[in-house]
Amino acid sequence: MKARLAILVAVSALTAAAPALAHHSFAAEFDGQKPFRITGSLVKVEWTNPHIYFYVDVKDESGAIVKWTLSAGSPGALSRRGFKKGDLKFGDTIVVDGYLARDGSHTMDARRVTLADGRVVSGASAGDGGPGAETQVPAR
Amino acid sequence: MTNNLRVRMLATVITLGASLFSTGAGAQELTAVDNKSAKPRPAPRTADGHPDLSGYWKGTRDTVPGGNIAKDLPGLKLPLTPAGEAALQHNLTATIDPEALCIIGGIPRHNASGLPFEVLQGSKKVAFLYFYSYYRLIPTDGRKHTEDPDPSFFGEEVGKWEGDALVVDSIGFKDEKVWIDENANPHSDALHVVERWTRPDMDHIHVHTTIEDLKFYTRPFTYERTWVLGKPDEQLQEYSCSENNVDREHLGFGPGPIRPDGTRGYLNPAPLPPLPAPAAPPKK
Repeated sequence: MKARLAILVAVSALTAAAPALAHHSFAAEFDGQKPFRITGSLVKVEWTNPHIYFYVDVKDESGAIVKWTLSAGSPGALSRRGFKKGDLKFGDTIVVDGYLARDGSHTMDARRVTLADGRVVSGASAGDGGPGAETQVPAR
Repeated sequence: MTNNLRVRMLATVITLGASLFSTGAGAQELTAVDNKSAKPRPAPRTADGHPDLSGYWKGTRDTVPGGNIAKDLPGLKLPLTPAGEAALQHNLTATIDPEALCIIGGIPRHNASGLPFEVLQGSKKVAFLYFYSYYRLIPTDGRKHTEDPDPSFFGEEVGKWEGDALVVDSIGFKDEKVWIDENANPHSDALHVVERWTRPDMDHIHVHTTIEDLKFYTRPFTYERTWVLGKPDEQLQEYSCSENNVDREHLGFGPGPIRPDGTRGYLNPAPLPPLPAPAAPPKK
């Protein structure tokens, strides 16, 4: 438990040192009362500003594939946190913790990503007013 | 080596890695800490004697609440007229953040933004350059406002020097698809903005803004802010808003809840699930 805390603290230090800024408020799109976890296979990555998007196939209870769209911070911010585009490999099984979109779509803000190698990385768009963003950004 | 020790070492490596990334030229920060020095360096001047405002300017943690044009007003309360209150309610309940739809934020919203900007000063024109490849060009050649300017997001801007201050007077604004700040506060086409830009020393730029819009606000009000000079190798980065704007299909109206401290977001968001258990080490 302490060990996990150490990683979280390290990730927080990263995000505090490396703010980037979203171009819309977290709460304009996502529901802060709907945290959610998905575990699935990575099928596509779009490493674009001001947000990266990645797409994950998740099997539902019936075995059918549900396609999820996951939004994260900007490439520059993620790179500074040690989260490189090469860390996301097609076919990898990743765990994504975040908040569901308010519109009920299979869209989620990826606040925390557990990569296939076990690393835990913050995906948050700093400064968007989302959970944890206050420690990452300041100036909005 | 115990698992605990391994994980602690990994955490240390991640943190050290962050410091390395954050100082690299290719990984610039978008905000700065304002280390107010005891001996400020004097502001540079151009050949014609004016302070040179040119530079890459970054916001700081001292601007609170960020993105809120009422930052300097008691109780963060804007002096809205009934029409202004109705416009605010419309923005909150029936409009998507125009910037998130890749529409120019304009003035004064860009002055409340968290993103850096760059100034390039010439003898007859000053250029303000923004992320998303937006810009405004402010003539300082003595011209006056035109009689009937075409509405625009930055307005019709006329600059002049008053001592060491660049005074930018803007009228002729659009009244649709605009928020005056990140909190969805409104402005009308009657908006009149006067910005007084100064560079008190080498490392700071300051704006004092007077915002007048008698359709939506009962009286003029002010907004002030200071930015910090970026490092010599920092400059605006390419930021293509409409390249891949997946979010636009999922955005709701307004900025979402506004907290009592004037920032945007949920007061008590539900916590994320606990971290997943680490994978078991392979058996030998």
